[in-house]
Amino acid sequence: MKKRLLAAALAVSMAAAMVGCGGSGSTAGTGSEGAGTASTASTAGEAQGTTAPAGSGETITVAIWDPNQLAGLQQIADEWGAANGYKVEFTVPGWDGYWTMLEAGVSGGEMPDVFWMHSNNAAKYMASGVLLNMDSYIENDDTMDLNNYFEGINELYSYNGSQYGIPKDHDTIAVIYNKALFDKYGVEHPTSDWTWEDFAAIAQEISDKGAADGVYGTYCNTGNNQDTWYNIIYSYGGEVITEDKKASGYDEPATIEAMKFVAEKILPACPSPDSMASTGGDTMFISGVVGMICQGSWTVNNFYTADNASDFEWVMLPYADVNGNGTCEPEERCSIYNGLGWSIYSQTKHPDAAWSLVSYLSSEASQIKQSELGVTMAGYIGCSEAFANAFDGMDVSAFVDIEEQGTLIFRPYSKTTAIWEDDASQALVEAWSAPEKMEEVMHKIADSMNETLAEENG
Amino acid sequence: MKTKMTKRARTEAIWGLLFIAPTIIGLLILNYYPIFETVWQSFCKTGDFGIGNTFIGLGNFKKLFTDKEVFRTLFNSFRYAILSLPLTVAISLVLAVLLNRKMKLRSVYRTIFFLPMVCAPAAVAMVWKWMFNQDYGLLNHMLGFKINWVTDPAIAMLAIVIVGVWSSIGNNMILLLGGLQDIPRDYYEAASVDGSTGVHAFFHITIPLLSPMLFFIIQTGIMGALNLFDLPFMIMDQSSRAWPSVKTITYLFYEYAFEKSNRGYGAAIILFLICIISILTFILQKSEKKWVHYD
Repeated sequence: MKKRLLAAALAVSMAAAMVGCGGSGSTAGTGSEGAGTASTASTAGEAQGTTAPAGSGETITVAIWDPNQLAGLQQIADEWGAANGYKVEFTVPGWDGYWTMLEAGVSGGEMPDVFWMHSNNAAKYMASGVLLNMDSYIENDDTMDLNNYFEGINELYSYNGSQYGIPKDHDTIAVIYNKALFDKYGVEHPTSDWTWEDFAAIAQEISDKGAADGVYGTYCNTGNNQDTWYNIIYSYGGEVITEDKKASGYDEPATIEAMKFVAEKILPACPSPDSMASTGGDTMFISGVVGMICQGSWTVNNFYTADNASDFEWVMLPYADVNGNGTCEPEERCSIYNGLGWSIYSQTKHPDAAWSLVSYLSSEASQIKQSELGVTMAGYIGCSEAFANAFDGMDVSAFVDIEEQGTLIFRPYSKTTAIWEDDASQALVEAWSAPEKMEEVMHKIADSMNETLAEENG
Repeated sequence: MKTKMTKRARTEAIWGLLFIAPTIIGLLILNYYPIFETVWQSFCKTGDFGIGNTFIGLGNFKKLFTDKEVFRTLFNSFRYAILSLPLTVAISLVLAVLLNRKMKLRSVYRTIFFLPMVCAPAAVAMVWKWMFNQDYGLLNHMLGFKINWVTDPAIAMLAIVIVGVWSSIGNNMILLLGGLQDIPRDYYEAASVDGSTGVHAFFHITIPLLSPMLFFIIQTGIMGALNLFDLPFMIMDQSSRAWPSVKTITYLFYEYAFEKSNRGYGAAIILFLICIISILTFILQKSEKKWVHYD
C-alpha cells in the first residue's frame, strides 16, 4: 500500500512539475519598458504566425515580443515576401521569453535572422558583435537615409560610429482621463493648455470629492518613470543623466524641484503607496477608481479594447511654467520618447535578404502603413499622422501633437541603465512613504548612480 | 580481495550501464556541467553572453562578505524557513494521522489536501496575490478588516509563509500517510494492553516509527525553504515598502545574474548559499542517529 501511495504521489508531483514548467509564464515587471506592451505580451505565451509560402523561396525568421503588433507587421512583411520570393516567419515569445531566447540563441548559435532591439539591451548586444554592422548596406541602399529617422533612436543603435539597427518606431507619452468620473464629480475636462500644477490640482479635486467612493485623482508609483515622473523632471528643466552620460542628474536643483513637486502635489492625490504597490495603475484606471494617468503610446490598444473605452479621452501632457509667463514654451512640455530598432543577426545565412526586409520595413511607405494599421507610430519622421486616426472612435492625436508643441527627450540611458534605473526605483520607495525625505533620497540616488556610472566608464 | 566477474555478470553490468546511460548523460550535461561552470564564473568578472570572462580570483567573494544586502536577504530566507517548516510539518502530520483512519469520503479529503500540489506554483502565487490585495482582495473583504497583507513590513513575511505552508502540506501529508501505513497495528495493540493509547501512543509509537519519514521531510523542507524564490517574486511588487523584509537570497542572486548581468557575483552568492545548505545538511545528518529510528 505504501509503495502504491508513494508511486501515485510521485506521478502527481511529476505532473505538477510539468504543469509548472508550462504555466509559469512569469508576470513581467516591465510595465514601463519602452515600446511593446510587455504585460500583454507575456500573458499571451507563444504565438506563431507564418506567411504563405511565396514560390520556392527560403525562410527568413523574425522575432518580436509584442503580439499586438504581429498582425500588422505580418501584413507588411508578406508584401516584401511576395515581391522577393521569401517566406517570412514570425516568432512572438513575449517580453521575458524574448530576451531569454536571444540570450540562449547567442550562445547556441540559433538566432532569428531579423529581430527587435530595445534601449535596455542594445549596448550589450552591439558590444558583443551579435548584431550585423549595417554601414555598407546603408551606403549601398538608395532608399535608406538615416537622416529620415529620429536622431535619438539612430544614436541608440549606433556603436563606435557604426549602425547596428534601423529605427522601427517611436513612442510618446500622453494623459488619459476618464470622462465619466470627471462628470460624476463635476470636474472640468482638461485641455492641452494645462500645467503640471493644474494637473495636480485637478487630481486633488477628484481625490477630495471621490474620497467616500475610494476614487483617486491620479496614479504614480516609483516605477512609473518613463510614463510619468521622467516627463516632469525634464519639463522642469532637470535631467536624469548628464548629456555625456558620465554623471547623474538626480542631485541637480531642477531635478530635485521636480521630484519635490511630485512628492508634495502629485502623491497626495494618488492612492496610498501600499495600494499602488498592490494594484497596477492601468488596472485601477480601467476599473474606474483613478481619474487620470500618464501612459505611453504603446499601451493605447490596452485602453482601446477595454469595456468602457468610450469613457476614455487622451489629452497632451501638461507643461511646467518654469519662466512663469503663463504660456507654454516648447521646452516646458517634455515627453520622453523611445524607439525600437530592427536588427540583423551578424551570423545570419541570408544577410542580403535580411537587409532587404529591414529596408522594406523601414521605408517611408511601410512606416506610414505601420501607423495606419495602428501598430505603432513611425521611426521615420513625419509618418505618424495616420496613427492619430488609427483607432476608430478614440482620438490619440495627443501623442502626435506633442512632437510639434513640445519637446521630445530621448529616454535617459547609458550602458548600465538596467542597474541605476532599478536602484532609483528601489530608493524612491522610501520617499514615497515619507515625501518629506524626497530631497535626501535624491542625493542618495545620485551618489549610487554616480558610482555605477564611474564603474561603467572606468 | 578482488573478485573476477563472471561473463554473465559482466554482460549484465554492461546492459545496466547502457540503460542508465541516458540519465547519466543528461545529469552530466544538464546538472554537473552547469555546477562547474557556476563555480568557475564565481571567480570571474563575467562578460556578456559568457564571452570575455576575466579571472579575478576571490574578488566576488571579498565583495560578498562585506555586502550587507547578502546577509539581510540570507536572514530573510532563514526567517522563512524557521516560520514555515514547523507549521508545515505539524499540520501535515496532524492531517495525515486524521486521514489514516477509516472514515467516509477519505479519498475525497486526501485529494482536496493534495490539490495545491497539482497547481502550477506561478498560478497559485497569482491567485493568492489577488486574495491578499488590500483594497479589493477576497481576504480583507471576508474578514472585514483592512490588513496590508503584502505591503506591511511586519506581516508580509507571514503572508508568504501562509501560501508556502498551504501549498506544501499536501505533498508532505501523502509522504507521512505512506509512513503511517507502514507501522504495524501490533505495536498499538501491544501498547494498549500496557495502557498506552491516544496521545501517549502517538508520541511514543507513531512519532518514533515515523521519524525516518519526518527526517526526510525536514531535510528537504529546509533546502526548499532556503531556496525560496517564486512566491515573493510573484506575489509582491518591488515598490512595496515590505519588499526589503521579504527579499530572499535567491532573489538577490537572480537580480545580479539576470537583471544586472553580473553573472560572476550572482554565482558567488549562490555558491555561498550552497555552502550554508551543505553545512546544515551535514549537521542534520549527524543528528540523525540521535532521533531517527529505523525499525
